[in-house]
Formats: sequence, structure tokens, C-alpha cells
Amino acid sequence: MAITILAPAPAEAPRRTYHETDLDTYGEDEDEMEIDDLPSGHRRSTQVITPGQIVTDDPQWMRGHGTFAASDDASSAIRSTLAGTLQKTNKLLSVVPLRARYTPEIGDLVIGRIVEVQSRRWKVDVAAPLLANLLLSSINLPGGALRRRTSVDELNIRSFFGEGELLVAEVQSLFQDGSASLHTRSLKYGKLRNGHFMAVSGMGGGAGVVRSKRQIFTLQTARGGEVDVILGVNGYIWIAKHVEEKREEVGLNRLEETASQSMYSSQNDEISSETRREIARLAGCIRVLAEGSVKVEEDNLRRAYEASLELDEIEGEVRYLGGERGRNIVDMVLGG
Amino acid sequence: MAPYTNIPLSPAELSYLHTSLAQDPPIRPDGRSPTQFRPLVAETDILPSANGSARICFADGTEAVVGVKAEVERTGRKGGLVRGKEDGEVEGEERGEDGWLDVSIEIPGTRDDDALPVFLAAMLTEALLADGELKGRLVIGRVWHWRLFVDILLLSQPLSYPLPLLSLTTHLALLSTRLPALISQKDEDPLFNDDWEASTHLFPRQPTTNEPETKPPITLLVMTVGTNILFDPSSDEIAVADAIVAISATEDSKDGGLKMVALRTVDPPSRLTSAGVPTQANTTAGGGLSAEETLKLREKDAGATVWRPPRGGVSRTVLGRMIKKVVEKGGVGEEVLEGLRGVKS
Repeated sequence: MAITILAPAPAEAPRRTYHETDLDTYGEDEDEMEIDDLPSGHRRSTQVITPGQIVTDDPQWMRGHGTFAASDDASSAIRSTLAGTLQKTNKLLSVVPLRARYTPEIGDLVIGRIVEVQSRRWKVDVAAPLLANLLLSSINLPGGALRRRTSVDELNIRSFFGEGELLVAEVQSLFQDGSASLHTRSLKYGKLRNGHFMAVSGMGGGAGVVRSKRQIFTLQTARGGEVDVILGVNGYIWIAKHVEEKREEVGLNRLEETASQSMYSSQNDEISSETRREIARLAGCIRVLAEGSVKVEEDNLRRAYEASLELDEIEGEVRYLGGERGRNIVDMVLGG
Repeated sequence: MAPYTNIPLSPAELSYLHTSLAQDPPIRPDGRSPTQFRPLVAETDILPSANGSARICFADGTEAVVGVKAEVERTGRKGGLVRGKEDGEVEGEERGEDGWLDVSIEIPGTRDDDALPVFLAAMLTEALLADGELKGRLVIGRVWHWRLFVDILLLSQPLSYPLPLLSLTTHLALLSTRLPALISQKDEDPLFNDDWEASTHLFPRQPTTNEPETKPPITLLVMTVGTNILFDPSSDEIAVADAIVAISATEDSKDGGLKMVALRTVDPPSRLTSAGVPTQANTTAGGGLSAEETLKLREKDAGATVWRPPRGGVSRTVLGRMIKKVVEKGGVGEEVLEGLRGVKS
């Protein structure tokens, strides 16, 4: 069947969580909430706060992110600036937005796409409100890490990264306006090739990529060999064939050189169709997780991949992971 | 969510996608088969104040609503007289005018007079008017006719080329369009039955089965990569297409099969990309060749190892195969129409 057409389903009932009983203790008046009953820490309440709503006028609370004090209110009143849920950390109240762009933080591993090439820097799209900067001085130059940047490099800037090219980098510092400065001064960072790019939502709200112990990992696939997955904290994801680094060279300087030779190449290696199929399957798993409002992280992705293989064995092979098959995978990930 | 939508993909990505799609069988990034469509959610008769309406929603969140409104209008006069029979016009034959169908498309983020909505509207109008049946049905009498306004509203950002979405939604909306029943005589000032139950379908239905006898055309987007033909391409796939063709097909009243009523080529965005640099010629990757050697390498390589934007047009045989895949018996066109038949209001 070439096309499947579904009837519109009514909106899904909200998932029941352990907070459910707490909701009953909220007062009759919608504006008033029993903040005391809210568990502390990073667990959030299920009640949605709208912008401008008074969260509390109890003087014991402190104002955190996403809140403000209006001039004509009582001095202790806290109003929300966002549509989101309340988060309590000891005595600090903050509002976490339901959905927001990625806000860069120092040390985040991000995937970015070059938008603009300037004289000594690149402007990189990292799904943040502002473009990030990548300075020519914060990339690894070929021919040794300690080499000084010269005017030749400045003229050759497009041979390192051109418009549209993808790179994995780390947030080095933040500017006053919240835009990020990136660096790729490590062998695990740099230009991306041999794979497929996809974007889900990142840190900032909703399901998507979350900060976790490992953002880069290698997955052993059933038939396609090893596949690398890079989950950028900004929600950009790269799934690529795993390429063994050449280790035959000995000596520190030679190692640098071999590493830097493939670093700025935009030519793909030979990739078998089996590997391509597994990459497509992984991309499907990630899409299913994102659509099913499940966090995209290493454990969930591994479980989703196993589930898709298992379902293929039980119910016959389906390449397109959407619809019924997608829901089954999400159920297996959440259940197991 | 993507803030900078017109940045090209990187040469490595383009090369990966192109090679994947050119394999036999092609490996699409979402794992679909070449003729498989993305699942969609559809319903008709959603707007109570319109004569006909439909809504279609793709899994990726793109959504379109179409409303059809009909208005009674006095047929244009020629030389101060009511338009009479022209030479060669057979008595009893009803002919309409192209201007009686008004298709307008609204896409968020674009102006009304942007190239994209105007081009899409022209393409849909062309397909609807091609067999001349629809405009004939708009004739009430010699003096009066219906004027049909088809308003197409894309509710989301156009994540991929929105033509198939809009076309399928328009198809459903027109199928559900009903016109009030005429009480008066044909050439009098029209008087209509105000009972909506008595209204007639614009595309008449068989009284017993309630199945439409004829159907409005559908427009499908078909793209090629190498020798492969892919249907319902996503935006990633369109980015590496060798050629994109929009084929409109409608049911042939004679033999019950499908016939092509319109065909348009769409300029693929892959032509605007820049070519990749092979490692051998990349100075920062340890290579470095003279300009002549680089040129030779690039021509001989012909997109085998690095990305090269497609050149030239689409060959006649491939075009023929594309049309055949849409209109043949048991082909994609029939399956899509079969799928759309099951949509309930």
C-alpha cells in the first residue's frame, strides 16, 4: 500500500504522573498553588503557568529564572514571564518553559552548521537564538596543534569550513548577549562526514536531546558494523559510519598529522548499503522517540534500536518506523 | 525550528544522501520504499460555513486546510448582450470559463505575490481545468453561473515542497463540495432550495453507493535520483534530486483508468549547491593539485566520490517511466485515489 490515511484522533489525555495526587491539594482559585507541597529538586509540577500570572506572593520564596517582580505588585509577589511549569529548588522558584530554543552553556557538546564565513571567524547555527562564533584561532590547524595561525590560513578559511558544512564542537565561552563561542581543539571534534544529519529539539524544554554522561557513542548494529551517534545538546544529531582511526603511525607529531589530514576532508569513505540501512533505522528510532515525547539519550536509543530489531523478527520487517510500529517501539522503550 | 532555512546541506551530507538514494533498491533516510507516502491524517467537511472543506496533516506536523466557497455570478456580457451561442457551439453543450475557478494559496512566511504560492496555485488551477469538466459544471444557465473560490491555507511552515499536501487536500475539499439545489428554471434569476440536505455534490455521486462518479485530479510530486524514481520526497531528498516533476492525473471517464492532465517540472534546489572537494585536491586535507589536474579530477569523477550538483535535464525514458508509474493500472495514482476514497468527514 503506497499511502496510509488515518482518521484524526482526539487529543491524547495527559500522562498520569506521581504528582497527580498533589494536584488535588491545589486551591479552588487557579492562581494559587500549594508550592509547599511541590517536591524540591528538578521534579516539576504538572500545572502550566502562563506569562504574567502571579506564582506566589509569599515572601519566603526567591525569584529564579523565568520570573519577575512587577512594580505595582506587592514587593513579595512573583510573576512568571514564560508559559511553563514551576520548578522549586529549595527556596528558589523558577519557571521552566514548555518549549524553548537551546540556550548555550559552557562545556556543551553541540553540532552546528556554518552559516557565514567572515574574515577570521565562522558564524555557526547551533539552534540557539543567536548564531555562535567559531574563531579561526580555536580550531585545530593541520600540521601540528602548536602551529601559529598565519595570514595564509586566513585567506584559506573556506578550505577548513565552507557555508553549509557541519561540525561538532564544544561551547568554549559565552558572550554578554548569550551567544556562544565554540572550539574544536580536540581530535574528537571537527568536520562531520560519512553520515546523516537530523534535528530534534534540544535542551530547553520538551522531549529531545538532554545533557547526559555521554553525547558521543558507538553502536554495534546487527548487520551494518559499527555506527557512531553524536547527540548534540542543541538537538542536532549526527549518525555516521564508525571509522577506525589509523594507529600505525607512532610518534606524537606524526599522529597529529594523520589525524589532521582527514579532519577537513569533505569526501565520504566507502559506506556499504547495509551500514546505510542501519543508519536509516537509527534515524527512524530517533524520530520515533522524539515524536513519542521520549528523551533522546544513549540508553533510550539503544533500547529503541533493540526493540525495532525485535519487532522485525516477530512481526516481519518494516523499514519505515512510523505509525503503529513507532508506537510499539516507544511502548517497548518505556516499558523495558 | 530551523532559523536559517536557506543554508545548503554540506557536500558530505549531499553525497551520502545521493549515493543512498541512487542504490538499488534506494535507501531513503526514513526507510520508506520508493512509492511509499508518509502516513497522513485527513478529514473532510470541517468548516460549516464553506461549501466544501478538508484538512490534511502529515506526521512531520505540516498541515493544510482548504475551504471551497461558491458564489452566484452573472455571466459576462459581450457587446451589451447576454452571451449567446458562439460559432460551432452545439446546442445543449455547457461550457464554462477558466476564470470561474479562483485558487489562492497562503503559506506562512511568504507574501501573496511570492513566486512559490503563485506557481503552486497556477499548477493546481491548470490541473483542475485541464479536462474542462469542472468549469462546465459551474454553468447554471445562460445568464448565471457559479464562481468557485478555493482557498488553500498551509498552517505550518513548508518543511518540504508543499504541493502534494495542498493538492490532496484540495482534492478532498472539492469532493465534499456541495452546491444548493436549483428550484427555478435554468435561465431565470436563480432561486435555490435552502434545505442543505437537498443540495447536490459538485462532483455528482451515484445515488445507491454514494460514491463519486468523477473525481478532481490529484497532483503528485515525483523525483529521480540516478535511475530511481521516488514519490512523496521529503526535504532532505529534494535537496539531492536530479529532477523533480509534478504530475497531475485524473480518472479517465472512458476506461476507468488514469490519465495525465498536466505536467510541470520543478527546479531542484540541488542545482544551487556547490560541489565537494575531493581529498586529493584539498590543501587542508593533505592534498593539493594544480587547477588543471583538479578540473580533470572533477570531470572524471562525475559525482562518484564527492558531491557534484546535477547537470542537464531529465531524459525522455525516465520521464516516460515516471508518468507510467503514476497512471498505470495498479500504479501509485490509483492507490492514492483508493486511499483518499476512505476518508470520512
